[in-house]
Amino acid sequence: MRKTVLLSVVALLVLSVALIQPAVAQTTTLRVLVHQNPPMVEFMEAFNQQFQERHPEIVVDMSVVNAGDLSTVTQTRLSANDIDVIDMFGFSNAAQPYMTDVDPPNWQQLIDAGLLMDITDQPFVANYDDATIRDAGTYNDKVYQINLGRVSYSGIFYNQDLFTANNVIVPTTWSELVQACETFVAANIPCMTAGGKDGWPIFVGAYGLIGSLYADQAGLVEGLWTGTITWNDEKALEMWSRMQIYTRDMIESGASGIAGDAAPGRFASGAVAMFPGGTWYAPAIESAEPEFEWGYIPFPGSENAEDNQYLFGKYDQGWAVAANTPNAEAAMTYLAEFSAPENYQLFVNAVGFIPTQPTAQLDTHLGEEVAPYLANFRVGYEQYWVAPRGVGQYANPWASYFQPFGTFDDPQALADTVQADLQSGLDVAGS
Amino acid sequence: MTYHFGRGRSRWLPYLLLLPGVIAYFVIALGPSMATTVYSFTDATGLPGAPVNWVGLDNYDEFLFLGQAARDNLNAVGRTLVFCFFVTTIQFTLGLLVAIILNQKLRGRNFFRTLYFMPVILGAVIQGLIWSLFLYPLGGPLAKFLAVFGARSEFLGAQPTEAFAWVIVVQIWANMGTTMIIFLAGLQTISKEYYEAASSDGANRWQVFANVTWPLLTPSVNTNLLLNVIGSLQAWQLFLVLLGYRNGTQVLGYLIYATGFGQTSGSVTSSFRQGYAAAASIIMFILVLVIGMSVQYVLRRREARILE
Repeated sequence: MRKTVLLSVVALLVLSVALIQPAVAQTTTLRVLVHQNPPMVEFMEAFNQQFQERHPEIVVDMSVVNAGDLSTVTQTRLSANDIDVIDMFGFSNAAQPYMTDVDPPNWQQLIDAGLLMDITDQPFVANYDDATIRDAGTYNDKVYQINLGRVSYSGIFYNQDLFTANNVIVPTTWSELVQACETFVAANIPCMTAGGKDGWPIFVGAYGLIGSLYADQAGLVEGLWTGTITWNDEKALEMWSRMQIYTRDMIESGASGIAGDAAPGRFASGAVAMFPGGTWYAPAIESAEPEFEWGYIPFPGSENAEDNQYLFGKYDQGWAVAANTPNAEAAMTYLAEFSAPENYQLFVNAVGFIPTQPTAQLDTHLGEEVAPYLANFRVGYEQYWVAPRGVGQYANPWASYFQPFGTFDDPQALADTVQADLQSGLDVAGS
Repeated sequence: MTYHFGRGRSRWLPYLLLLPGVIAYFVIALGPSMATTVYSFTDATGLPGAPVNWVGLDNYDEFLFLGQAARDNLNAVGRTLVFCFFVTTIQFTLGLLVAIILNQKLRGRNFFRTLYFMPVILGAVIQGLIWSLFLYPLGGPLAKFLAVFGARSEFLGAQPTEAFAWVIVVQIWANMGTTMIIFLAGLQTISKEYYEAASSDGANRWQVFANVTWPLLTPSVNTNLLLNVIGSLQAWQLFLVLLGYRNGTQVLGYLIYATGFGQTSGSVTSSFRQGYAAAASIIMFILVLVIGMSVQYVLRRREARILE
């Protein structure tokens, strides 16, 4: 009798496992890779939760990496066939016909190697505006990425209370910006902060200065490649001189120790008057101090206020799918749901991107701030730039070459070094 | 002398026992090294499916001679040698000093041995995080200490020379424990009788060290010197964690990593160039080999002289 009961229990257990097994086996784990951007990561975690509730057969396994490591991790995980949906940057700077003997950018290498999926025929692609799909998602007439938004990196966040309390007008020209900083520094208030520990926030913070002097950024890149523009001509020297003032007199001392994702918090604390940076910082500022009153203006790098009406920026992140994913159906479901207008609107609200879906609105405080300049939005220099082989390490228009972040303290010496480093690569390309 | 394991099939037993190790060595060490050598003559991107073309010596030519980039590369080689010199010298000396002190009968010496060795077990990321916080220029502990004297520094964000010096400090802090432990082990093998004999001969502390401790520590000295030289020539993780890709601070190891994984160019999306990075790796291998073998040659001659 005992034996029979025992055998029955074992049989029941085996049967239960057998019945449960198919349900477990049907679950798909969708591996998603994103870069570290706190508001976006927070949104994606909430979105993934909802997505999994709606699609219990799919489990989303999202990995977050630092922006600087994204291309490395993308390469290694694609090579290992260990990723399904990838967050990609910079799908825009393809090599131009006048650029000779250059290495194609990494997104192009990934497509040429057959590692990204052609998503041209996916219905959700139609949710995005045609210009975005064409400029930041298409290669050889096929769509490989849906771009999730544009950002401006050429503006300055400013502390409205500090401006009012110190009777400083919102600057519209370079002289007014210099005057504003002098007023704040005299009042013992640091003028600007930046996430100098990460390096790039220092030079990206001054991209607006380049834009206000070279409004045609695509033309600037072509001019540099063809030699009609040099980084040590008279106009460039004006740019370098202002960059030196920006790094030496405007950015607060100690900024080199502030991490990129800590800088919005420091600005929101009210300790500094301004924060040059991209629109993607807006949610972090609001999150750090919801009551904080701030505004956003284009970097006034020119003495002519008309030249300072442009916002320069880039197409930011986009979704691409691994060509060899075994979870293609789940990946398409994921992207289709993300691209649904109501979800995309929530994403834009959370992250602060300028929308790439025509039905979406940037109805946030940032949206109000950038609205006057949106008609003047232009893709920035670094989105067009592809460096020739053999260029030296200083062949970029980066303010961070100046002290205290770099070694230079003479604009002319730096201008000559930058041009020499660039020319060296151009000579190689020419030969 | 020939060892026999028996007759017939038993003769093959030693080779059979060696086989797993040999296979592991080929798969983990020699195979990838040979593949890297072959890669260095190609334009490989490291992406599966991407075409790979034979480019001969082009990658070497580009690394050593092409434009200003070659000058930057050679500067990185020079910086690597400077890094190696300071790290080896200071780490070796400090490790020896601490080992001698902690070899005495001191109260709590086990605690201090653990304390000095602890950084070794932390990964580069944790080591970097600790020092980034310690050196935070806006209110970090060292910044506050300097402020007492009216001084300030940007530390890791300072001029490249100062930032580079801080990486040397962190590298020494992170690895000195290993040097110390090897010396401690060496010191504990020296018989007390030698010290008693020297003492009864009236030798002072320096004479004891110079004529007893130092010669008998030769195996530990050789091991530590080689490990320090090779370890510092190959260092790159702390540069990545503490400084990132920053002009004037790159060493060869970091340059290779940054090149191979597309982190060097001014463009937002730089390229994957693993063929080129492989060529740079081979150049580093040659550098390590030449310096390592030279050091070993000198050390062996010294050891032979002492043993004579």
